[in-house]
Amino acid sequence: MADKKIIEVKDLTVRYGERTILENVNFHINRGEIFVIVGGSGCGKSTLLRQLIGLETPTNGEIYFENVNFTSADKKQKNQILRRFGVLFQSSGLFASMTLAENIALVLEKYTDLPDDKIEKIIEMKLDAVGLNGFQDFLPSEISGGMKKRAAFARSMALDPDVLFFDEPSSGLDPVTSASLDELIVQINRGLGTTMVIVSHDLASILNVAHRIIMLDKSEKGIIATGTPDELRNSPDERVYNFFNRIAS
Amino acid sequence: MQESSIQKKKLEIINDGGQIVIIPLSSITIYNANEIEQQFSFEKLKGEVHKITLNLSELTNYDSYLIILINEIKEYCSSENIEFELTGLNDNLQNFINILLPKQKETPPIEHKSFLVAYFSNIGEVVRIIFSDLFKLVEFIGEVAKNFLLAVFNLKLIRWKDFPHHFLNAGVNAVPITSLIVFLIGLISGYQGAVQLSQFGADIYLADLVGISITRELSPLMVAIIVAGRSGSAFAAEIGTMKVSEEIDALTTMGFDRIQFLVLPRVIAVALAMPFLVIICDLVGIIGGLIAGLATLDITISSFFAQLNVALNYGHVFSGIIKSIVFGLLIATIGCFRGFQVQGGAESVGRYTTASVVSGVFLVILTDAVFVFLLSALGI
Repeated sequence: MADKKIIEVKDLTVRYGERTILENVNFHINRGEIFVIVGGSGCGKSTLLRQLIGLETPTNGEIYFENVNFTSADKKQKNQILRRFGVLFQSSGLFASMTLAENIALVLEKYTDLPDDKIEKIIEMKLDAVGLNGFQDFLPSEISGGMKKRAAFARSMALDPDVLFFDEPSSGLDPVTSASLDELIVQINRGLGTTMVIVSHDLASILNVAHRIIMLDKSEKGIIATGTPDELRNSPDERVYNFFNRIAS
Repeated sequence: MQESSIQKKKLEIINDGGQIVIIPLSSITIYNANEIEQQFSFEKLKGEVHKITLNLSELTNYDSYLIILINEIKEYCSSENIEFELTGLNDNLQNFINILLPKQKETPPIEHKSFLVAYFSNIGEVVRIIFSDLFKLVEFIGEVAKNFLLAVFNLKLIRWKDFPHHFLNAGVNAVPITSLIVFLIGLISGYQGAVQLSQFGADIYLADLVGISITRELSPLMVAIIVAGRSGSAFAAEIGTMKVSEEIDALTTMGFDRIQFLVLPRVIAVALAMPFLVIICDLVGIIGGLIAGLATLDITISSFFAQLNVALNYGHVFSGIIKSIVFGLLIATIGCFRGFQVQGGAESVGRYTTASVVSGVFLVILTDAVFVFLLSALGI
């Protein structure tokens, strides 16, 4: 039987010069769950995400993907792991000079031997899944912010990744668009069994989608709470309770 | 009952008297798509087929390619009037198919134009864009001129804090490259002129040729082209990036006038830097011509300058300087105009930066032609 843990973080420490952002952080992410990383501004959420997707190397500690040490993996191994990741960046990260179809086709052309007609079908399928069928030939500058996020979502799903990472998916979106994106995340998670790792501080969205949450704290330089949304909402820790119940401290 | 069974690596295909059952074994993914296609194609289905059943009960690993396979079999069945059945679905597979199976497209019908109609409508569109661009440029120049006049009566309107920075970048920092280019142009034209003049024994007239051509035409024109490439493009990229990152909108909401805040300091800086650059380049260009003359003709430095003194008058030098001011105004205005046209992202910044150089150089040469006619009509 496959291991339940898909990602495991062990003793992760991140320092920029003299400044320590994260210290001895330990947690794991289970296969198929929607895992949310929360915390106030400057607590290291985005830093942690950049570590998880291999954009930065930790000062100390390791990150394991399916028991393979991602931190010390060589370039080839790292690329093989990255191929199983999809990332939705805060500002979408769509290539402005390419149409939505070209944005999605990029990884399919690089990593598969599929002929053009099959790639076109996959593009159509992915755009359809995020409600953007018919927008294949649009440039990112020609669509709205919410549509950009959806298009970037479709691009991140191009290779049917095992894990999808989201950096503040609801930032810059209106509540309705944000809610529909949440719905899409849940739907894709249920339907495709994709593990979702979300960095967010949008409380409504977090409580809506999360299976499990970790909360980071700036002064602790690490995790101060782990649990389900209900557990954290009723946490005895005042900082956690205040955050999840919108109480100013 | 006739039964034939072929065990394949990825697919098992059972043909039971025209009832075909396809059973994918373990894995159907985009990474083994080619293997699957080698093992199965509709051409290989022999005999009369009544029904195709796709049984997914053995499938453990799948991705988007499964949907493509289902769709292709479905489409084939519908075109050949064959019954299709999908079996062996568990909840996860059903959800997966529900999400990714393309729904009916709701795209509007595409209007097909004949080649001629499309050709002429394309020409029409290009002409419309050119005229609309020209109209907007004239409007922008008008806006800059209006603000410039307002600023003449109230100097505080301009953000002078930026002026030294732009003057330094467009003027002082451009001295080495413009000087080098015009020196080489003087050298080349001096050498070419010397070859021709020596055939008629008119060696000394090299001073006339180099002096007048450098001061009237070559120096202002070359300086303008280099400044368009350096500063015009820089203005377009700077303002374009500001537009993309909503800095211009922020300025507007804070009550700043974009022309007074961003355009006038740049336009004035370039317009004032140009004459200085041209004067320096006039001297360097003439020295280039002198060196070519000394190297190839029987002239001396003193005879060259004595002849230059006779040939050159204030009209030649000042016409070049006046032109350079106009070129400077044009280059900076076009650079800023193109920057404000940026829409969207990085790609648009690149497009309009290129456009700023192309249209800047084009307008400089066009204006130079107008000057030639005007000055000759005025006898200058």
